Amino acid sequence: MTALLEVRSVQKHFGGVAAVAGASLDVEAGSITALIGPNGAGKTTLFNIVSGFMRPERGTVVFDGRRVDRMAAHRVSRRGLVRTFQTAKALTRMTVLDNMMLAAPDQPGERLWGLAANPVGVRRRERQIERRARELLQLVRLDGHAGEYAGTLSGGQRKLLEFARALMTRPRMMLLDEPMAGVNPTLGLELLDRVQDLRHSQGATFLLIEHDLEVVMAVSDVVHVMSNGAVIASGPPDEVRRSQDVIDAYLGRHGEAAEPRA
Amino acid sequence: MSALLSLEFWSLVGVVAGIYTIFAAGLQLQFGYTGLLNFGHVASMAVGAYTMAILVVKEHLPLWGASLAAIGAGMVFGALLGLPALRLRADYFAITTIALAEIVRYFTLNEQSLTGGPLGTSNLAGATQVAQYNGSWTAFQHQVQGWLHGVVGSHAGSDFTMLVIVWVVALACLAVLHPMLRSPWGRVLRSIREDEDAASALGKPVLSYKLQSLAIGAGFGAIAGLMYAFQFQFFSPDDFDPTITFYAWLIVLLAGAARMWAVPVGAAIFALIFSGTRFFNFKPFTYLDAAQLAYLRLMVIGAILIALMAWRPQGLFGKREEMVLE
Repeated sequence: MTALLEVRSVQKHFGGVAAVAGASLDVEAGSITALIGPNGAGKTTLFNIVSGFMRPERGTVVFDGRRVDRMAAHRVSRRGLVRTFQTAKALTRMTVLDNMMLAAPDQPGERLWGLAANPVGVRRRERQIERRARELLQLVRLDGHAGEYAGTLSGGQRKLLEFARALMTRPRMMLLDEPMAGVNPTLGLELLDRVQDLRHSQGATFLLIEHDLEVVMAVSDVVHVMSNGAVIASGPPDEVRRSQDVIDAYLGRHGEAAEPRA
Repeated sequence: MSALLSLEFWSLVGVVAGIYTIFAAGLQLQFGYTGLLNFGHVASMAVGAYTMAILVVKEHLPLWGASLAAIGAGMVFGALLGLPALRLRADYFAITTIALAEIVRYFTLNEQSLTGGPLGTSNLAGATQVAQYNGSWTAFQHQVQGWLHGVVGSHAGSDFTMLVIVWVVALACLAVLHPMLRSPWGRVLRSIREDEDAASALGKPVLSYKLQSLAIGAGFGAIAGLMYAFQFQFFSPDDFDPTITFYAWLIVLLAGAARMWAVPVGAAIFALIFSGTRFFNFKPFTYLDAAQLAYLRLMVIGAILIALMAWRPQGLFGKREEMVLE
């Protein structure tokens, strides 16, 4: 199986701090892959690099056979690699439905000449988009809020909106930055079910940053562990759980291990 | 009080309101819908007016061709304004726009051989002859006045004719903008106003949309510049000082951000204040001379802006809840 996403020796400094210091990892097509690590390990910076929001100083990012590390963020997104943000970015003074409809790809009405030349096509596409947007809102139980400003949603609801909005783009791979943070646990588990469904039904690929290790161990096929800007362990959840490096990274080299080593 | 009853006076107020409706509509697009802090909007007006005048006087282009070229020049100017500046954060972009507008004004002041310099457009053809750019405009206006005579009778003076023309243009501008703003294109603009990172994460080319918004907004600025030039038959760099930009801001904030159809109302209120020193013909205002009264209206405009920000930041037609969402 070839990797859909290949990150090779990526480096990024902020001043004198090496936020990402030669990180490498693979994400297999159709997998659910987790990226874990303590605060400040460089996970979000790596996400920013992979999604085109930052340029790495060194190293390459290859998505679906094409280098994306010098690509503008919107082009990376259009190639099917779509991200969410740690703090959900709801477009607050737009309705929930508008948030969703915005995200749809191939909109002739987004171009002025398309608007002028093909008004009928624009309206038809709008109807299709709206139908799909309402379906996805139902999926995350926000259909009752479709007409409200997104700014009226709670933090957890914004996370769900952002997840559904990213789905509107019909991504091939999603980068989810702490998708469960602030989401009520029942809904969070549903969201994970959704992730697993999408993987099975459409072969979608997921890379997620998550702090809840129970969740990570339960859903992911592969776990990458970052510490101090590098990937220090990769493998199936059970294997990674037993790695001494991982335990050291999380708990400190001289700390008392909370769990006995198996 | 006879001035207040004359059709001439109210026509003038209406013309000012119409010109500023077109002008502020451009800023409304840029700020209200796209979130771009443009503090140099007046420059698009200057580019429009000067391009037309120069092409007519020096290149002997027909007025319509020169006017189209002027709108085009305004749009190019808007896009150029964006190219270097949009890589900056919003507040630094705002500072750059002020600087650029001042560069345009100083250019028109000093590049005498091209613009006529401080003497304005009457000096366009050199010191020996008085230049006129509006010969065919006057002819056109007479023609319209003739038609209006047939409709409303002989009240239709040249001021009233200008009023009708300006408002036909202004409403046409709003009618063009209306479907654009309601379209998926307008939705992308609003998403950039809300969070440009979210927009690019969803595959929207943010820079391209910002440039489109700046260019089209500046195009409306240029149209306003043309109307201004036609109304006054003569203009100079002094007509494009930074205060004009803030008049547009007053109108947009009065109307409410992202309320395009409220712009004419804001512009009408502004025009009343602007022309309204004539109202102040009673004590204690009679102690002030005309120049002092002219400054008084600037103070009134400033006071309204402050009061709006303090008590009604959403403007007259905006929604309060939009101001508190985060």
